[in-house]
Amino acid sequence: MLKGKLKFIVAIAVIALTVSYLVYGGVRDTMVYYLTVEELMAQVPAVYDTKVRVSGTVVPGTIIKDTNSALKFQITDGTQNIDVTYEGIIPDIFADDVEAVVEGVYAKNDVFEADILLAKCPTKYESTDSLYENKEASN
Amino acid sequence: MTETGSISIFLAFIISIYVLVASIYGARTRKWDFVRSAENGAIAVFVLLVIATIALVHSLINLDFSLKYVALNTSTDLATIYRITSLWAGQAGSLLLWCLVLSVYTAIVVLQSRNKDRQLMPYVLATLATVSIFFIFVIAFIESPFEKLPFIPKEGRGLNPILQNAYMAIHPLTLYVGYVGVTVPFAFGMGALLSGKLGDEWIRYSRKWALVAWTFLGIGLLLGARWAYLELGWGGYWAWDPVENAAFMPWLAATAFIHSVMIQEKRGMLKKWNMSLIILTFFLAIFGTFITRSGIISSVHSFAQSDIGPLFLGFIAFILLFSFGMFLYRINDLETENSFESILSRESAFIFNNLLFLGAAFAVFLGTIFPILSEAVTGSKILVGSPYFNRVNVPIALVLIFLMGVGPLISWRKASFKNLVKNFLIPILLGILTVIVLLALGMKDVKALIAFALCAFVTGTVFTEFFRGTRVRMKRGENFLMAFMRLVSRNKRRYGGYIVHIGIVLIVIGVTASSVFVTEKQATLNKGESMELRGYTLRFDGLEQYTTDAKNATVANLTLFEDGREIDTITPEKNIYKYEGNREINQETEVALRSTYKDDLYIILSGFNEDGSATIRAMINPMVNWIWIGGLVLLLGAVITIWPSGTKSRQEAFVRYTVSEKDTTVKAS
Repeated sequence: MLKGKLKFIVAIAVIALTVSYLVYGGVRDTMVYYLTVEELMAQVPAVYDTKVRVSGTVVPGTIIKDTNSALKFQITDGTQNIDVTYEGIIPDIFADDVEAVVEGVYAKNDVFEADILLAKCPTKYESTDSLYENKEASN
Repeated sequence: MTETGSISIFLAFIISIYVLVASIYGARTRKWDFVRSAENGAIAVFVLLVIATIALVHSLINLDFSLKYVALNTSTDLATIYRITSLWAGQAGSLLLWCLVLSVYTAIVVLQSRNKDRQLMPYVLATLATVSIFFIFVIAFIESPFEKLPFIPKEGRGLNPILQNAYMAIHPLTLYVGYVGVTVPFAFGMGALLSGKLGDEWIRYSRKWALVAWTFLGIGLLLGARWAYLELGWGGYWAWDPVENAAFMPWLAATAFIHSVMIQEKRGMLKKWNMSLIILTFFLAIFGTFITRSGIISSVHSFAQSDIGPLFLGFIAFILLFSFGMFLYRINDLETENSFESILSRESAFIFNNLLFLGAAFAVFLGTIFPILSEAVTGSKILVGSPYFNRVNVPIALVLIFLMGVGPLISWRKASFKNLVKNFLIPILLGILTVIVLLALGMKDVKALIAFALCAFVTGTVFTEFFRGTRVRMKRGENFLMAFMRLVSRNKRRYGGYIVHIGIVLIVIGVTASSVFVTEKQATLNKGESMELRGYTLRFDGLEQYTTDAKNATVANLTLFEDGREIDTITPEKNIYKYEGNREINQETEVALRSTYKDDLYIILSGFNEDGSATIRAMINPMVNWIWIGGLVLLLGAVITIWPSGTKSRQEAFVRYTVSEKDTTVKAS
């Protein structure tokens, strides 16, 4: 009986250890720091060539689309700007003034080479500002 | 109409409090009139919330822009069907829907079990009422869908075009029915703990309701995946986004629960475990609602953000403390009736299944809250992305598929070597044969080989079961079809479950093929130029533009050739929605999809230029259709399992008989 119980305990321990190891290894190898533009600039030059994720607002007028769908733009935290290059699928809501999240490396030439680009407009979502604008326009 | 709505919500709040108080008071003092009036109260709450919902839908259809919710989510150019579906496009409306769905469940529970299980039911009702009180409180006093604007705008902000899609009309609703549905099995668990009636009743009800919630969650997840695939235009259907994880976690926990309850039913074991599992499942469902509604974890889903976060956290803390407190209070009544005999038994296969499902849920949970956790511990925000989730969950999933094959055929209590050989020889040979064939065909990816071999193994065991059962009936003189139909209809739970397993196998095949063997290519083409993609050729025939009431569309006309033969025309679009001014999102990329059982050709117009050239991104995603077909099979199996049993009356008579044998005084009816 005791021997039977021991088998279960061993089996359960093996499962628990395996899952823990998978979690540990997964976190260790895939973790990415999530920074604001300010935090990124504060970490130069240590941050060069490490994979990071940065969020900031797209600076109006800086979006340049190449014919080969390569994209260049700047993001800002209000005081500092960084240049970003990206090639890939551009989200539909990506435009001036939206909050962009880019993942990639900040290269030594001070250009952020992104391989993931996400865009969102959370601050405006439940805001009624646009409705006020519309009210003024219609009056 | 809007006054009617807000008054109804307020009344529903008051009556829910009454339901809570009256049901507990009635049960404790055995004044059944109070319990009866609490039940009527629950029906009244349902009616009031229906009225409130109708009032809001009425305002949405008629575009009453004096309401903030209507002005933010609709516009004059929105089709009526999407005016209705914007009921769940924003925060307040979604929460109203939450309350409504919960009240529907509560009403069904009340109507089904009037005069039955009189000790248990009042506490079940009290638990359901407590959850309603919280959610109705939120929409009555904090996030009201009937909030007025200080002015009446001429035009509303409109609905995000990517939400104007048939799947978006049904996917959130299905998911909600699933999320909220988890409350019901939890309420039966809590009812059992509160009343001390920890026998078979609660587990029987809980199992059934957990299955309902599980099915809706699963189908909701698949519909969401399909929507993302068709609408988001990045070529995939699952991204481990926090909002997806939020629904996936309770599904994982519920899957563990619906398996382990069987052991409690059959062997009287794992009582503490099952109780903990259902509490955990409910916690994950509420936590999921919290994630999606509070915006605490940044997600690509631009959901509403507001300050209801702390309130939710308080509610979650209350739920956890109270339910685990009750659990500890009753822990002596949850002793097991049997113990494990052998590690080679169906019981232990279920235990491992449970541990793995929980392991997966834990890993997903950790990955989802990692940014918050790391910020609290180290001060810097650290993310883990899709690679983390895949690395952890793929191995767990593979072992689970293996167990899915083992579970149905291994004997209860203790499996002998003979039993193992007899049951597993053919399925194992089938698995090995699959590997040999795939290797011969040139497949080299190890994970894919293992996955396909395991799928063959599971299919083998399931068909063995169907074959044996049918053969036994045929020996009694039934023809094949009749034997097969009767086999399933007489054992709905068992064979329905196997059909669900087949659905899962199909989904696993689709997911494996489409994640391991994707081909992707991007090119900028001038008119007349072509691109090649694994046996397919796409010829660009030029751009075309057209205008409708709602949008300006640009279409790329492409002709598809397979092995030099023209087979189809393909037209991906890029749309600019009209109505400039206050709508923030006005662009939409319309994917062109050519779908067969073999592969999906997924074409995106990612850009076009003044000179008439277009940038085309093309993907071949193999066997994606198998996922959706697997979903249908899963649904079929789940419906068979849940379907009310025709032989129920006979079983109940049998149970009553055994009871009256022990207690021969009165019950001999």
